[in-house]
Amino acid sequence: MPPPSLLDNILQILLNGIASGAVYGLFALGYTLVFSVLGVINFAHGAVFTLGAYLTYLLIGGAVGSNGLFPGLHLPFALPYWIALLLAAGLTALVGLLVEATAFRPLRRFEAEPLLYLITSLGAGVILVNLMQIVMGAEGYSLPISALGSLPVTVRIGEAQVRTVQLVLLAVAALVLLLLTVWLELTRGGKALRAVAEDATTARLLGIDSAAMIRLSFAISGFLAGLSGGLVGLSLSITGPYFGINYGLKALGVLVLGGLGSVPGAVLGGLIIGIAEAMVPGDWSGYRDAIAYAFLFAVLLLRPRGLLGGPQETKV
Amino acid sequence: MSDTTLLVQMLLGALLGLSVYLPLACGQLSLATPGFYAIGGTVAALLSTRVPALGGSQSDYPLTSVLLEMGLAALVGGLLALGIGLLVLRLRGIYLTIATIALVEILRVVSLNLPITGGAVGIFAIPQPFRDPTGYALFSLVLLALVCWFCQRLAISRLGRAMAAIRDDELAAASQAIGVDRIKLLAFVLSALVAALTGVVAAHFLNSWNPRLGNFDASITTLAFVVFGGSRSWLGPVLGGLVLTALPELLRPVGDLRLIVFGLVILLGPALFPQGLITPERLAWSRAWLAARLSRPLVAAGVGGEASGPAGPSARGPRR
Repeated sequence: MPPPSLLDNILQILLNGIASGAVYGLFALGYTLVFSVLGVINFAHGAVFTLGAYLTYLLIGGAVGSNGLFPGLHLPFALPYWIALLLAAGLTALVGLLVEATAFRPLRRFEAEPLLYLITSLGAGVILVNLMQIVMGAEGYSLPISALGSLPVTVRIGEAQVRTVQLVLLAVAALVLLLLTVWLELTRGGKALRAVAEDATTARLLGIDSAAMIRLSFAISGFLAGLSGGLVGLSLSITGPYFGINYGLKALGVLVLGGLGSVPGAVLGGLIIGIAEAMVPGDWSGYRDAIAYAFLFAVLLLRPRGLLGGPQETKV
Repeated sequence: MSDTTLLVQMLLGALLGLSVYLPLACGQLSLATPGFYAIGGTVAALLSTRVPALGGSQSDYPLTSVLLEMGLAALVGGLLALGIGLLVLRLRGIYLTIATIALVEILRVVSLNLPITGGAVGIFAIPQPFRDPTGYALFSLVLLALVCWFCQRLAISRLGRAMAAIRDDELAAASQAIGVDRIKLLAFVLSALVAALTGVVAAHFLNSWNPRLGNFDASITTLAFVVFGGSRSWLGPVLGGLVLTALPELLRPVGDLRLIVFGLVILLGPALFPQGLITPERLAWSRAWLAARLSRPLVAAGVGGEASGPAGPSARGPRR
């Protein structure tokens, strides 16, 4: 086989970047939904991501590692990957609700300042991460590639070899984004959520149950976090319970790049950072993790409201 | 771990709490403290292991060299804070916080990849100026006392009142001819100085330094000190730093659960004590209570004691 041409290399890098960027976008969307409704960032989001990856791993029949609470233990059944992924995301949606009930609702009662939500949501994250560490151990986990069933490991597009996993990530992320956008734009529930995001008080006056909408945004956000965890686990090894915290921090870059609270912005930011990371040459791979932060910094200085964000609120 | 070792860690925790407190005293939530702490630690680790001239002739590492490292760490940290502060302090609220998180992460990634800082392994065998933890405890105590004294002077000074005004209402403060930008920058630099100095002491005390010591976890822990203790007086972060550093050690009997308990404390704490444990109202109340107790003859003590002092603190009210 002839060596791949420059063009094919570029295509390969682009596809890899777009695939991981689409998952970034999916994850950052969870931040954005909560931010647009409450104006605060949920720092437990990254921990829920890891939980989604772990639950998917367990549901497809994976065994707890040797450092875990019950080494070698596994569920008596093994679900197909897609069902496991959806079930795991459903469970993390419930965890999202739990995070809302413990870290956000008590503070909302007396309109606490945003700083406090930061702390309490981090507290929820710390608890989740350490529970996972106790149950699953500190070791890395990765989903077996056979989880995808009979799909080939790589696909050839032109002369470029692309890992099937990347295409799967891209397809799922695109599908979920599409569904979510349709839901937000066209349905009654989606419109109600956007109304609460616009102005919670007015929405309440119009008869929208904003407390329910806040819960809904947390449930969707938890679902998205779990889903992205289960997807990323397919292409990367989840190197321990703290993996999601770091992923969550990088996704802050995605969030700020696209503009806090902007749904298309989260997707665009994810794609840009995914592609930028894929373009880092191998020799510099140690610095890859800094790309998202460098973007974040640059955007904050040049255009603080992000690429697609609305104007920042200013007090008069 | 010996009790004195724990005491040193508690004192260093209190110092880091004060570093988070300083920008917060003028309403700026910066999570950059671990970044500057890491700069101090790295400066100390590099100087003391790479510059033989600092080692002196005795077997112990000379204290003057530690002071020299502190001077240099303060210079590096202060200049960096000045440059970064000029850029990021235009940002408001959560944007500033996110920018400082990014700063800490960038510093961590860079020190993880630079050959000179030893990568993920870090720098080992940092020489010891003191033979036992007691020396470190005294040294840290002096440093903490100096910073506390400074914060107390600051709180009652014109500058400190300007900071409080900015914290309460930035726009109103600016309209009173308070140089908002300059004061915010000053607070940010002061915070960096405290963190960098603490890093120098920590590097010698820990005997080794690696990039993990200045990561996001550290940002959270130090922030928790301030939220737990209260951010409206310097006593709050000091108390928070002392107690929360000791907490995981005191909880060692519960083993793996200790970090979960720590998580519970910062999950539930803000809802129960939105302003932290120490607030100016509670301080004034306890001062009045103490004064009433001490001024009264012993026989009469406890009689009518409840009547003295202002009304109890309004613990649950929103801050603004």
